[in-house]
Amino acid sequence: MSQYFAGIDIGSTMTKAVILENGVIASVIGHTGPEQRRLANKVMEEALRKAGLSFDAMTYIVSTGYGRINVPFADKQVTEISCHAKGVSSLFPQARTIVDIGGQDSKAITIDTHGRVTNFIMNDKCAAGSGRFVEVIADTVGLKLEQMGDLSLQSTHPAQISSICTIWAQQEVASRLAEGVPVPDLIAGVHRSLADRVARMVKRLKLQKEVILTGGGGKNKGLVKALADQLDCEILVPPEPLITGALGAALLGRELYEKALNKNLPLETKPRVLETVQIL
Amino acid sequence: MAEEQKKPKKRMTATQAAASIGHMVKEFIAGAVRAKAEGKQKLAYTFIVCHHEEILRALDVLPVWTENFAGVCGAKRDSERFLQRAESLGLSRSLCTYALCGIGFDQWREEQGQMPPNAPWGGMPKPDFMISTGQILCDPRAKWFQASQQYMPDVPIYNMDLPYPLFEKDQDHRDVWGYYHKYIVKELRGLVKFVEEQTGKKMDYDRLKELVDLSDRTWNLIHETYELRRAVPCPMGTGDAMNTMVPINFMMGTQDSYNFFLNLNKELKEKIAKQEGEVENEKYRLLWGGGLPAWFALSDFNYFNSKGACFPAETTYRMVAPLYEMDIPETNDPIEHLAWRWLGYWTFWYDKARKRPGSEPDVERLISLIENYKIDGVVMHEAFSCRTWHVGLIWQLHQLGKIYKPIPVYVVTNGKKEKTHRELPSLILESDIIDITSYSEVDTRNKIDAFIETLESIRQNRAD
Repeated sequence: MSQYFAGIDIGSTMTKAVILENGVIASVIGHTGPEQRRLANKVMEEALRKAGLSFDAMTYIVSTGYGRINVPFADKQVTEISCHAKGVSSLFPQARTIVDIGGQDSKAITIDTHGRVTNFIMNDKCAAGSGRFVEVIADTVGLKLEQMGDLSLQSTHPAQISSICTIWAQQEVASRLAEGVPVPDLIAGVHRSLADRVARMVKRLKLQKEVILTGGGGKNKGLVKALADQLDCEILVPPEPLITGALGAALLGRELYEKALNKNLPLETKPRVLETVQIL
Repeated sequence: MAEEQKKPKKRMTATQAAASIGHMVKEFIAGAVRAKAEGKQKLAYTFIVCHHEEILRALDVLPVWTENFAGVCGAKRDSERFLQRAESLGLSRSLCTYALCGIGFDQWREEQGQMPPNAPWGGMPKPDFMISTGQILCDPRAKWFQASQQYMPDVPIYNMDLPYPLFEKDQDHRDVWGYYHKYIVKELRGLVKFVEEQTGKKMDYDRLKELVDLSDRTWNLIHETYELRRAVPCPMGTGDAMNTMVPINFMMGTQDSYNFFLNLNKELKEKIAKQEGEVENEKYRLLWGGGLPAWFALSDFNYFNSKGACFPAETTYRMVAPLYEMDIPETNDPIEHLAWRWLGYWTFWYDKARKRPGSEPDVERLISLIENYKIDGVVMHEAFSCRTWHVGLIWQLHQLGKIYKPIPVYVVTNGKKEKTHRELPSLILESDIIDITSYSEVDTRNKIDAFIETLESIRQNRAD
């Protein structure tokens, strides 16, 4: 009989779900709203539909991310630090440093040869060190977030963004725009500014190669380049950088299940029911 | 939100002694207000860890610990209105928030001619004089009372300087500490003269010597009592030590402080005999490796406890060593002894640090506590507004990681499994001493969860 493991990662901006058999058989990404529980249900249903499975078929479910406690059907909660480590390590066995640039925070994790966390650091105080910074600037220059990366690669003279606060930087970008600074240069400057802040955080740990970038930041080619410049090393990006936490959660679920099975230990699971939840 | 902030969760204490502290602090804040009303005793604003309070007590002066009052405001989540008032006076929020809270409070009280409404535990009375105690890095200790003096210009200040020789890898501090001693003695004698003038009393040096002897005995008793926390399971953690710091820092030179630690010593021995730990099922032993606590979030220590983690030791608010282990000259003059004790306190780790390549006194102290208390990980708190205690914490962790790798682990290099050693895992919490706007409980606890998972992961990968 097949075993299926699910990982669900409720981040501050996006919610992700992965279903695993021998490999990933379904993954779903949705926007986290204020009603995290409802979205957890929704992405789980969507992932099950994609995988063609019933909820009862799930062997073990692990939730992670800031909203991990808001997943009533999860059998276990694990922090995103451990889950990113596990997920990235499965994709890049040579990975030793993970940088995750999410919607409202960024983090750096060092891992050992087994994919175990050896140290970590998080920036959750300042929007200027997170993906929110790029989102705000995209709004200011009238671009979609997904356009920012490619456009910034056209820059020949990245602008200097000196403000260290997202709101002040937004004003600075608006005034530089009025001065006629080309948009690609402005965006490249913004990426450099964010990369500089993230790199300073990463350097507080002992940087070891290979370095992997995950989270929404990994989808922005301009930011990847800026971070590679700042850290002075190549940055690898998973094919879908948003789901490494959910993938790691599912993998940890499988590990826990197998460990319990091998040692003949009981493994508690929650009822496989998607309860109707309405918070607001 | 504001309502929520006014109701901090009560931290559960492990010891009866720690539980008794709240009442004790409330009483000595109320006692200062009573003393002011009665007018029988002079009140002096001053700062902790300056080795001068025996002089004040010998001249029957009641110290009013302004940092303590700010900490109380923080712990009661009632500092914001005083911080905002200080900001409205033109002071930046990035300055020491203890000082901002105190200055905001003083200005409010002086403007109204009475205590601000609902002042925490009755408020802080106007002092008769103020004693600044400039230390090497802590500029608020020199500037805070000058700023407060704007609102009470009739209150004089004695500004006392307390330097100590900085650590030099290739120079014995004893080559120069005689000069420092001479200077500090002069500063302390200046304090005696100033307080005599303010109180109209003459110093009774026999009484001063008695009080200094009492402090010394208390000092050694505190050290011996805290050493009991080496026990496994640990009977008392740093959360409790953030309470028991009160008799160390605000009551030295009193019999009450000595008696408090006699009782705590007895309580800890009883707990050890019964194998009673702070945590029911102790899994991880952590070192509070630096930083003042977030006074409004002491229940975070309970959160650590809920994960099986205890804190047998801390570097904050703790004697570095018993006096009999300090290599300081003998003297019968209590003032000279206070100056030597000060120098011994700050330079105690210098010799050991010189012996280990790459080490520094603060790092050496961490290593000593890690080894003596069987520590699994280090936690530090970076309080944004306090440079004095927080500058260099991250650097200390870096140095510690470089020169001290006590955990045997296996690594796979080129397909081969090898045994090596790694550093202790560490966690840096970020917020402030009393400014709650710098703090997020959700983020802090998320970091704690991740740190606990890291500790477990490292434990499972140990190669011994």
